Amino acid sequence: MSGWNAFLRDLFEQMPLILTGLGETLKLTVTISISGLLLGVVVFYFSQSHWAWVRHLIRAYISFFIGMPLIVLLFLMYYGLPQWGVSMSPFMVAVIGFTFNVAAYNAAYLTTAYNGLDHGEIEAARAQGFKPLQIFRFVTLPQVLRLSVPALTNQIICNLKDSSVAFLIQYTEFFARVQELAATNFQFFRAYLFAALVYLALVSLIVLAARFIEKRVVIPGVYR
Amino acid sequence: MALIEIRDLVKKFDRQVVLDGINLDVVEGEVKVVMGTSGCGKSTLLRCINRLVEPSSGTIHFRGQDITGHGVDVRALRQSIGFVFQQFALYRHLTVLDNVTLALRKLRGMSRAEAEEKALHELARLDMADHRDKYPAQTSGGQKQRAALARALAMDPAVVVLDEPTSALDPVMSREVAQLIDRLHRENVTMLCVTHDLLLAGSIADRVTFLDKGVIRAEDTIAHLSKHHPDEQVRAFFGCEENAR
Amino acid sequence: MNFLDIIVLLTQGVGYTVMVTLACSATGLLVGLVAAGMRRLAWFGVIPLLDGFTYVFRGIPVLVLLFLVYFGLPGIGIKVPPLLAMMLSLGLIAGAYLAEVFRGALDSVDAGEILAAQAMGMTRLQILAYIEFPQMLRFAVPGMVNEFTTVLKYSPFAYTVGIPEITKQAMTLASTTLRGIEVYLAVGVLYFAIYRILLIGVQWLERRYRVPGIGLA
Repeated sequence: MSGWNAFLRDLFEQMPLILTGLGETLKLTVTISISGLLLGVVVFYFSQSHWAWVRHLIRAYISFFIGMPLIVLLFLMYYGLPQWGVSMSPFMVAVIGFTFNVAAYNAAYLTTAYNGLDHGEIEAARAQGFKPLQIFRFVTLPQVLRLSVPALTNQIICNLKDSSVAFLIQYTEFFARVQELAATNFQFFRAYLFAALVYLALVSLIVLAARFIEKRVVIPGVYR
Repeated sequence: MALIEIRDLVKKFDRQVVLDGINLDVVEGEVKVVMGTSGCGKSTLLRCINRLVEPSSGTIHFRGQDITGHGVDVRALRQSIGFVFQQFALYRHLTVLDNVTLALRKLRGMSRAEAEEKALHELARLDMADHRDKYPAQTSGGQKQRAALARALAMDPAVVVLDEPTSALDPVMSREVAQLIDRLHRENVTMLCVTHDLLLAGSIADRVTFLDKGVIRAEDTIAHLSKHHPDEQVRAFFGCEENAR
Repeated sequence: MNFLDIIVLLTQGVGYTVMVTLACSATGLLVGLVAAGMRRLAWFGVIPLLDGFTYVFRGIPVLVLLFLVYFGLPGIGIKVPPLLAMMLSLGLIAGAYLAEVFRGALDSVDAGEILAAQAMGMTRLQILAYIEFPQMLRFAVPGMVNEFTTVLKYSPFAYTVGIPEITKQAMTLASTTLRGIEVYLAVGVLYFAIYRILLIGVQWLERRYRVPGIGLA
């Protein structure tokens, strides 16, 4: 028990740093969730392109990023690019790397939802005289986004969890701070257990929020 | 003594009484036909006999032994009752042959060779040997029916139970099923068949049992039931459906 | 030193990457099957336990769990070798995800066939082994491929516990040659190649056991 007391004392001592780290984790998660969704929508839009070469390019993009470990991408940018004189902060590297990766996944979810859609509506919109981009904005995207809510929120949970990877490129987010805490008192087990519980709590919050959103955006009569 | 003796069988689901005091005998070698409208309790009756449904009260004697109580080897009981389901319920990940051998191998402990020999014998008997390597998705309704029947017969059951054997088939197929059941009857297979198909009932049995709202209302020939039964509803059931065809 | 030389040097790590991926995938497969099977059998009290398991292991980052197992457990007197630490973190997490994949796939098994197996006189366990699992595994192929891919992509974490897989080789190579871009691009190519080869392997298995009327037409 005394071990826990000592650990908690150190924890409270370093609480400001840990909270800063938590702030960084949340900042990264929110940023890449938004940027990943936006780029994902763009990628999805081009995946429906008239030109075959664009579709092939997009398919290659999605398949490459789904097949390649995120950490390799981050290392490439963080340890590789300075060789060409491009030095970015860990945060920038993380944002760019995650965005490309997350966008690939989101585009894949949107495509799955799109394939399950009633394409008669799109023909109807075309018959009414809407332009392709208008059809995409007013007919396709709203439905596809709603159908994808479970997959997209799941992706946000993944983003939160995966943001811990950023400490491997020296980004001092929450997990990095927990490592520092562990290093001061060598209480690795307690420190990592504490980290695990914090992530679990944050995931639970997202799950609750997601349930709330899912209830709100249900379209009557449209099922997956 | 009858093979199956059902006495005062009652089954309630919550408050709803589905079977309300059924008395029924199935004698070895006979084809017993139970008829009734959908929802009359036919399927529940069948499921009580092999304890897929637990009766609320009453007794069922199978080969002289009460099988409703505790301490009954339910799985041994089920192995001696061949059940052919309405939708046939063939295992879709197995070929026709493997559908028949599965129980022989896993429940009877036969070697694969032994089981296949036995299964091929049953399949040949039902003209299904040529289709043995097909998967259920590749067979027609009538073929599924015969495969399911072969699967049941392979276990050498004391009785074969048929749940609405023609409801998933077209009229031509239905007639074939009737011929098939007749043939098995001549080969001395005991069968209990529930159906609402008058044509089938008329061609496989002389007398039928009429089940309505959980009660056996009559037992007689179809001709007699349609003309002389005192209850107008019973006459209507047997008469109208005949006229409809 | 050209790009090909780099790839050749990196291939020393491929064996370890594949080993970590297969070991963790196998762990996940086993755990997922046991969890999904136990849920199906619904023994007393087991379902809340399984719910807890999937919730916890899907809520903790792989890296955090890996550090907890490899660097944390020795603190309470349990020393875990690196590969086992990977299996107990990445493998268990994959198991939690696969358990959900299998649960969904089990729901696709026709209830009539299960009833027919019961009527044949099979035990619950026999039905699971001979009817439900063989069908479920075929339904679950896309979900399983997804999860194995995820395992491959998290396998670089093995370098943090000292397993000399591709990423570890790359870090050494990048620091000695100072040609990070080529090195990490080569790493990307290698992972992509492994991914495609594993995919071909799975597709071969899927075709080998494909049954008309189940899953992909």
